[in-house]
Order: sequence, then C-alpha cells, then structure tokens
Amino acid sequence: MDHAIQTKALRYRAGKEFEIRDLALKVPVGSVYGFLGPNGSGKTTTIRLLLGQLRPRAGSISVLGYDVPDQTTQMLAHTGYVPERPHLYPSLTVNEAMQLHAAFFKNWDWSRAEELVTQFGLRRDQRIGRLSKGETGKAMMLLALAQTPSLLILDEPTDGLDPVARRDVLSALVEYVSGGDAAVFISSHLVHELERVCDWVGVLDRGRLISELPMETFKNGLKRLRVGSAPAHLDDPPFAVLAREGDGVSAYELWLVRGWQDPMHQYLASIGADLREVIDLDLEEGFVELLRTARTA
Amino acid sequence: MFEQLDSRSPTPLYDQIAARIRVAVAAGDLTEGDALPSVRRLAGQLRVNPATVVQAYRSLETDGFVEMKQGAGTFINSVTDDRRDAERESAARHLVQHMLVEAKRLGLSRGTIVGAVKREIGEA
Repeated sequence: MDHAIQTKALRYRAGKEFEIRDLALKVPVGSVYGFLGPNGSGKTTTIRLLLGQLRPRAGSISVLGYDVPDQTTQMLAHTGYVPERPHLYPSLTVNEAMQLHAAFFKNWDWSRAEELVTQFGLRRDQRIGRLSKGETGKAMMLLALAQTPSLLILDEPTDGLDPVARRDVLSALVEYVSGGDAAVFISSHLVHELERVCDWVGVLDRGRLISELPMETFKNGLKRLRVGSAPAHLDDPPFAVLAREGDGVSAYELWLVRGWQDPMHQYLASIGADLREVIDLDLEEGFVELLRTARTA
Repeated sequence: MFEQLDSRSPTPLYDQIAARIRVAVAAGDLTEGDALPSVRRLAGQLRVNPATVVQAYRSLETDGFVEMKQGAGTFINSVTDDRRDAERESAARHLVQHMLVEAKRLGLSRGTIVGAVKREIGEA
C-alpha cells in the first residue's frame, strides 16, 4: 500500500447544481495532505465519500487498503475522524466520551488520552454540551488522536476556533504525526494555517481536483514578476505565463508565472524586457491565483 | 529563537530554522553539549511538518554544528572561534542582501543606501 487514500474516476452527484467528477486523489502513506478549496467546492462531500457515508455513482475508493464503501467498518477501525460539526453526545462528560470511544477502538491509548486532557486544559468531569467551541474542538481532536489511528481525516478542524485553541490543536496534531507514519488528510479553507504543516496539497474547485502536488513543488516556481517594456507576444518562454496584467499604477506589468528559476532572467533580458522584481507568493496567494486562472481557462 | 519564520521567503523553512540555530551558536547562546529540542517538540511548538525539523537538524549535522545521537537527541558540537566569526559574517551578508533586494524594489540608488547606512551607524 503506497497510498493511504486513493480514489479513481470518482463520481457523485448531489442535486442538479453540484457534481464531483472524475476525482482521482492520491494521498501518500505518511503524508500530511492539505485538501484545499473554497466553500462549496465539495471538500466535505469528498470526505463523506471517503468515510463510506455516501455511495459514489461511479469510480473506486481505497482507504488504508480497504475498499469503500464495502469494507467501511474495517477501515473505520484505523481511521480517526474530526467532522466539521461536533458529533458528540452533549450529555456525556469528557470522561464518558473517552470511555465510549475506548470501547469502540481497539488501539485506544489511555495514556495518550490522559496526556491530551492535560495538554488541552480539559477536565474529565466537564459535560460536552457545556464546553466552549474551542474546548469542543480540542475534545474531538483528543478522541481522534487517542485511538492511535493510521489515518486522520479532519474536516475544517480549526474553523471557528480562537487562535490559542487553533494553535493547541495543530501542535497536538504535529506531535502525533512525529511519532509514526500516520497519514493526515486535512481539509481547510484557512490556507495559511496549513502551509507549514502539510507536505502535499490538493486543490478542489467545483467538484474537480485542479492540482495535486508536493507542497514544495506547488509553491516553488510560482512567482509574480514585475516587468517593464516587454513585447506583447512572447516567443517560447521557459516558464508558463498564467496571467499578465497592468499593475494599475505604473507602466510595469505583473505576470503570474509557474516554473520560474532564477537563471530565467536572462530570457527576459534577451527579449528586451526589464525585470524589476520577482515576488514570492505564499500558499494562500498561490491558491487564489490558481483558482483564478483555472476559472478563466 | 524561532520567531517570525517566513513561509513566503524563498529560503526554505528548514533552512530558516537551521540558520537561527547557527546564529545562536555564533552568538554563544548555544554552546557545546547543549541539547536541541526533540523533533516532536520543536515541530509541535512551531507547528511545522516534522520532516522540516529533521531536515534542519540534518543540515546542521552536515555542517558540523550538531551531532544527532540515535535515541538520545541532537547536541551542539564544539565550534571554533573562526567558525563563529564566519557564521557572523554570513549572517551580516544575508542581512545586507535582503536590504539590497528591498532597495531595488523601491528604486533606491546605491548612494542613497550607503548614505543611510552610514548615518544610522553614526559614521556620517
């Protein structure tokens, strides 16, 4: 098994408006995979397909080597899941919720659970229904991590949490990953938060996967150039020009390029263009530009 | 020590982490035998992929700044004064390079920059 998650030609239709088409995801074992996409792009639907909660119209899903939906039960025994909305019984205490989970998951690790209770500043006798939003987020992460999963599927795990709770949740996640080769599939529209944590990125837009790359490849070579006096037509440039527009205030143009490497400034000099600046993009900007160019293409 | 790691910088994150540690060694803040935090702890603290921390420690090991002892942790090696000086010089060079890139962006001339530096350090 090379991939913790692999889907092929996956198709699902929810109503007339929305469809997941030909989705081919590959999440390598041991990777922390950021699943990005704007609201409504199909991230949660995809996750529910992966978990066997929805039945695909066509295509195949393999999670931890199990066929989904047929072997969903076996798959779930090794998969920790934090849903977008809390799924815990509000009348249970933190302790009772842990006992409930411990009964279901044979790899449940009580010492890890105790550690996380302390680390997250929770109390065992607190009722789930009385927890703050941040505490609920931490409790869900605790339950997912203490079952010692081989795969964590997290749907917007930090959405709506305050910065301190977000930090605690992400730290615990990173510490868990450091200890073994578990894979993490984490969906979010909070792009900058995933930038340092993930080593793979998949971008979903309107039910289609428009990019899936190692983080380094995704970010490397995606630049904005500020260029002056360039000819309107470029002859076979060594990089891909995704967009080209005026900067609004000066005679310079802004180019969005992919595949940029420093020696390529020679190409610009050779066509008589004046390269003023090479601007590095962070993941969020790269993501926004990618969506923009995918939609105009 | 690791404040303001910059995800946007063309310098990879692991390199930024390694550079902070090299500077701390050059400044004498870290000395021979000091233990660096475990990969798990530092990754958790910085909320970066653990592989990034491992890569930073490996690159420090290649440079001879640290020794990774299997199961025990990562420790600062003894570093000669020459090496410390070289590291300080390299940090200064990076600072200036960074400034020059900014200056080019703002369209500032060499004379303006040199003048400003001299004034700031009290030589003009």
